[in-house]
Order: sequence, then C-alpha cells, then structure tokens
Amino acid sequence: MSIMELNGGSVIAMVGKDCVAIASDLRLGNQALGISANFQKIFPVTDRIYLGLPGLATDVTTLRERFRFRVNMYTIKEEREIEPETFARLVSSTLYEHRFGPYFIEPVMAGLSKTPSGGYKPFIAAADLIGCLNFAKDFVVAGTASSKLYGVAEGLWEPDLEPEDLFETISQTLLNAVDRDAYSGWGCVVHVITKDKVVTRTLKGRMD
Amino acid sequence: MNTFADRFSTTTAASQLRHAQKLAEEEEFDATMWGSSAGFGSLTKGVPTFTVPAVPDPTAFLRLHTDDHADPSCRIKIKHGTTTLAFRFQGGVIVAVDSRATAGSYIASGTVKKVIEINPYLLGTMAGGAADCQFWETYLGMHCRLHELRNRERISVSAASKYLSNLVYSYKGMGLSMGTMICGWDKTGPAVFYVDSDGTRLKGDLFAVGSGSTFAYGVLDQGYRWDLTDEEAQELGRRSIYAAGHRDAFSGNTCNLYHVKEAGWTFLGNYDISQMHYEGPGDVPGAPGGGYGYDIRVEGRNSSDPPEEAAAA
Amino acid sequence: METSFAITGKGYVIVAADTTASRSIVKMKVDEDKIKTLSPHLLMAYSGEPGDTMQFAEYVERNIRLYQIRNLYALRPSAAASWIRRSLAESIRSRKPYAVNLLLGGYDTATHTPHLYWVDYLGTMTEVPFGAHGYGSYFALSLLDRYHDPEASLEEGLATLKRCIEEVSKRLVVAPGNYKVKVVDKNGVREVEL
Repeated sequence: MSIMELNGGSVIAMVGKDCVAIASDLRLGNQALGISANFQKIFPVTDRIYLGLPGLATDVTTLRERFRFRVNMYTIKEEREIEPETFARLVSSTLYEHRFGPYFIEPVMAGLSKTPSGGYKPFIAAADLIGCLNFAKDFVVAGTASSKLYGVAEGLWEPDLEPEDLFETISQTLLNAVDRDAYSGWGCVVHVITKDKVVTRTLKGRMD
Repeated sequence: MNTFADRFSTTTAASQLRHAQKLAEEEEFDATMWGSSAGFGSLTKGVPTFTVPAVPDPTAFLRLHTDDHADPSCRIKIKHGTTTLAFRFQGGVIVAVDSRATAGSYIASGTVKKVIEINPYLLGTMAGGAADCQFWETYLGMHCRLHELRNRERISVSAASKYLSNLVYSYKGMGLSMGTMICGWDKTGPAVFYVDSDGTRLKGDLFAVGSGSTFAYGVLDQGYRWDLTDEEAQELGRRSIYAAGHRDAFSGNTCNLYHVKEAGWTFLGNYDISQMHYEGPGDVPGAPGGGYGYDIRVEGRNSSDPPEEAAAA
Repeated sequence: METSFAITGKGYVIVAADTTASRSIVKMKVDEDKIKTLSPHLLMAYSGEPGDTMQFAEYVERNIRLYQIRNLYALRPSAAASWIRRSLAESIRSRKPYAVNLLLGGYDTATHTPHLYWVDYLGTMTEVPFGAHGYGSYFALSLLDRYHDPEASLEEGLATLKRCIEEVSKRLVVAPGNYKVKVVDKNGVREVEL
C-alpha cells in the first residue's frame, strides 16, 4: 500500500482569463474505508492565493499549520502580503527542508500575482513531495486521481476562459476524473479567484 | 520438499497442469472450434482444458505476474473489489450486487453484471476473478441443463452448488479466485449456497461476499427477519448494497436487484448508488422515500443543546 | 481485537471501548478501562500498540491537566484535539512513534455543542458525528449511517450503541466480550451501564 494512497484525495488548478481556479475532492479515507466526506484539502493563504495539499492527511493538517505560521511571519517582517511566486518558493524550501524524511504531500498553488502596472496575472504551480516546482501555463494536477485528471483536463481545458466558464471546466474535469478513481470523490469544492473576489462552491459528487 | 512428490503424483495441481499441457500440445481442436462451440471450444474433449505457459511451474509464473497484493506493480491486474449479497426469507431469495470493477485504484468499469443468470431458476453471484466466475457459472449452467435432460427434472440448488464446488476444488492451488452464492428455488423451497475457490460450500440464510461485505452485513443483519414482506426484503437488499457502495472504495456505481420466487427469478431493477444517496431509489415498493445518505437523512438536525434562555436569545 | 465506538446525540457524546488487554493470544485482563477523562467535559478512548497506549494517554492526561492548573480553565474540545493531534503528528516522525488511535468526545460548554474527533496514530484528525476504530468500524459505520440520529436522546443513543456492539459480536471473529461506556454532556462525565 502506497503511503500517498493511504488517505486518497486529489487537487487540480487551472488558469483562465484574468482568473484562476483550484478544486479538490472532499474524501478522507483509511485505504478502502471512507471516514469523512468533509475533509478540506484547499486552504486560503492570502486573499489572492489558495493552496491545495493532497496526500497523507496528517501532513495536510501539519503543513497547513506550518504554512499559516510562515506566511504570518513573512507578513509581519515584510509588512506586506506575500506574492504567489514568493509563496511558491516558500512552499518549495519548506518541503526540501525535509528532503530525507519528506511530508507526503504534493502541493498545488493557485493565485493572482500583481504586475508592475498594477494589474493581476494568473499564477498556478505544483510541487512534488520534496519541493520541485512546476510552473504551468494551463493546469496542474496532483493526488490519487492525477493520471485521470490529466486525461480529462487535456480534453476540456482551453485558453482564456472567463471565470464562469473556467468554473464549469474545472468542475467537470474534477467530477469526471474522480469518478474513475476509487480513492477520490465524496463531493468536491471549487474556488474561482478573480481580482476582486473569490467564489467558493461545494459540488455534489458521486458518493460511492 | 514437495517438489519430488509433485512430479510423480497424479492428483496434485502440477500434475493436472501437465495433463492439460499434454492435451493442449496434441492440438486436437483448433481456434475455429471456439466459435462453433459457443465459446466453449475448450470443452470439445468433454472436460475443460486450458493452454498453459511453457515454463516449469505455470502456477508460480501466473502468480508472479498477477498477485497485486504482494506487488502492486505486477504486469497483469486481475479485477477485484465487490459487494454481493443474497438472503433467504419467507417470500423467496433476494440477490443484490454492486456493479464496480477496479484494477488497483482505477475504476475499470461501473456497469459490470455481477449476477450470472445460470438458468430461469438459478442465479450465481460474482466476486473475485470476474472471468473465473463468468466461465465456471456458465459452464455450470450447461451441466444443469444436461441434468434436466438426463433426469427429467430440474437440478436442486444443493446439487448444482455441489457440482460447482467440486469443480473449483479440483483446481485448488492453481489460482482460481471466486466467491459466489448460488441461489434458487427447488423442491425444498428457496435456497442459498455459498461456494468459493478454496472449496468451501455453505448452506445458509444470509451471506454477503466481497470487500464491501462487512458494510452490507452491518445493515443487513439489523434489518433481517424471516417474515419480511417481499417489498421490505427488496428494500433491505438495496439499502445494504448502498451502504457498502458508500463506505467501500472498491464497491459502488449501481445496484442490480433480483428476486427468486417459486416460478423462477425476476430482475427488479438497476439502481444508481449515488442517486440512492441523494434521492433514494425512486418510486419502488418498499422505499421509504428520500435519500439514503446520512447527511441527507439528518439534514437540518444537529446535536447542540442550548439551554432554553440561550435558545430564545 | 480492540474495538472502540463513539456517537454524538442531543447534547452528549457516548464513548465506548472494549475492556480486554491482550498479549499475543492471551487475554491478560478483561476489565481494563481504556477511556480516560481528560477534563471535566472531555473523554478520550485509546487503542493500539500495548504500552504506547497507556504511556501516551497518561502523557496527554497530565498535560491537559497542567494547562487547566496554569490557566484556571480547561481547554475546549477542539483546542484539546488540536494539541493531541499535533503530539501524535510530531511523534510519527520521531525515532519511536506512539502507535495509538483515539476517539475524542467532548462537550463544549461555551457553545453547548458536543464534539467528536476521530484521530489515528499518524495524526490524521477529522470531526465526525460518529466514529469507530478497529475491525469493528467495518461493521459499525454502515450501521450508523443507517441508524444514527444527531438529535437522539441518551436512551436512543445507547440503543444504537447496543446495535453496534451486537453486530460486531455477531460477525467479527475476534470480537471483544465486554465494553466500558462513558457519557459526556453538560453535567460532565459519567460511566453508564448498558
């Protein structure tokens, strides 16, 4: 039994036109046994950055606490909010600190970064469990359904989607991919981040 | 220690394989016979024969490449994971199964037929190796028909299950994997027999088999009585499969429900497990109305217990 | 095999754990209390590796008590659960981890709400309306999906618990014989007879 498959769960993030979306399932399992249908894996970091933590559930909670602490320290020291690019480096170095005894998490980040002209630019990134960053321009996936997510996302994603269309695309991608994965599912949550608001919706998914 | 005995004995698995291999080498039947014998070309000699890998120990060879418990990266993943149940009651036998097939964590299919209709009076359920169950229960169907022709009466459920049990037992140790319930109605009334590839054969009132069987038992045992009405019994079968489909990662998708009565079996329907969670099985006799899901069932109820003045404020 | 259950109801949490302490194939003791009272409104059922269980439970018990002495008030259930989870999460990456699974049942006197936390030896934690550890969970969870009522009275809650225990005794090969049952509600903690 792989330790990455112990609790199950998947996360996906996608880029749209001046917006990003990040979504995850809600299952917490103990191998084949479903324990909870309300286990959040995505957490807000700032008003414009969300972080998804699929993998071993104990490390989901531990890393969430750790990143909250480190981002707060950064905010206090720098007297400004952290930017997505900087946060991605923070995630990477935090994971690499545990190179020889890693956290079993493959983080996915989605956010909007400030441009010098005062606008906002979509940003998504993913990392492996020891912090190798992957900056993608379209979408990133992680978790037990990652191989299925890649397949569906390759088929559904297109550039420059408006927030509502991006919501539809990411939702359909996730719902259909987790239906082919035994360890993911039990409902989904989707966050669509635009420059002036974040829309969070909980989706009904298959419950088997 | 056993290799010497294996080589010269005539009853072990290895010798059976040697025998099968010898028959296969003789090539007395060719590929076209598969088509002309309704897919049972391997039976042209009267007994099933199988081609086996040309290695010294074919059983070990097969296990090396199919045992995904010991080695998750093995080449051939045999489909696992199931919930099947059958129980006897005053009104006959209820047979209910899920429809999911998984290979590792991948859900390979959500529309598997896990009830095998052996003949109009006999049903078999499928857990373990899908191909093993399908092949041997269809094969059992042929022999049940031959029994009818020879003896001018239907085979009893007991005899049919014993036939299957003896058959799979003769392949013990060669990697067959099946856990099945043979259900039907004969002179003795409704009957359920559990037969598996270890050679176990049990007569009983209530069985559940597969990775989700424990969850099915949890609901089934609590609702089971001999004098259940037909509607109550059908509902109990459906509800138990839902319970397993919900909690077990390797069970789910849909539930197929059968009812065996004196006149033979009837197929009652195919129910989507997720739909049962949110809305219930629809307008069917015995359904309480509303979704089976815990969150749906207890919606709006909560455990907090504020004192009167706090609640009023 | 060790089995523990916990279920919430209207203003209470029932926590039940079997009472056998076994070593190899031998039952060493048949009336062991595996539910600790951590604070006036908090119960913890523990199971897992013999030795680790008691050591960890006592460590938690003393630290929760210390907090109460220092601050003159007890931790609320959610705070206590977070602290205990963190202890386990730190332990799992240490040289000698505690292999202990917990069910934490508490009554929050500030919000008048019962809380139940399912915690495993890795430090996985989730709040649930009912929970179980051990092989018993494979039979009890589907049963509780069907019969649990969050607004059940204590009598109804105990009847549901009895169903779980009977089901496990009926189907589990290595089912435990006796259970200790404790309840936490607004009046505090007490033991009940089934």
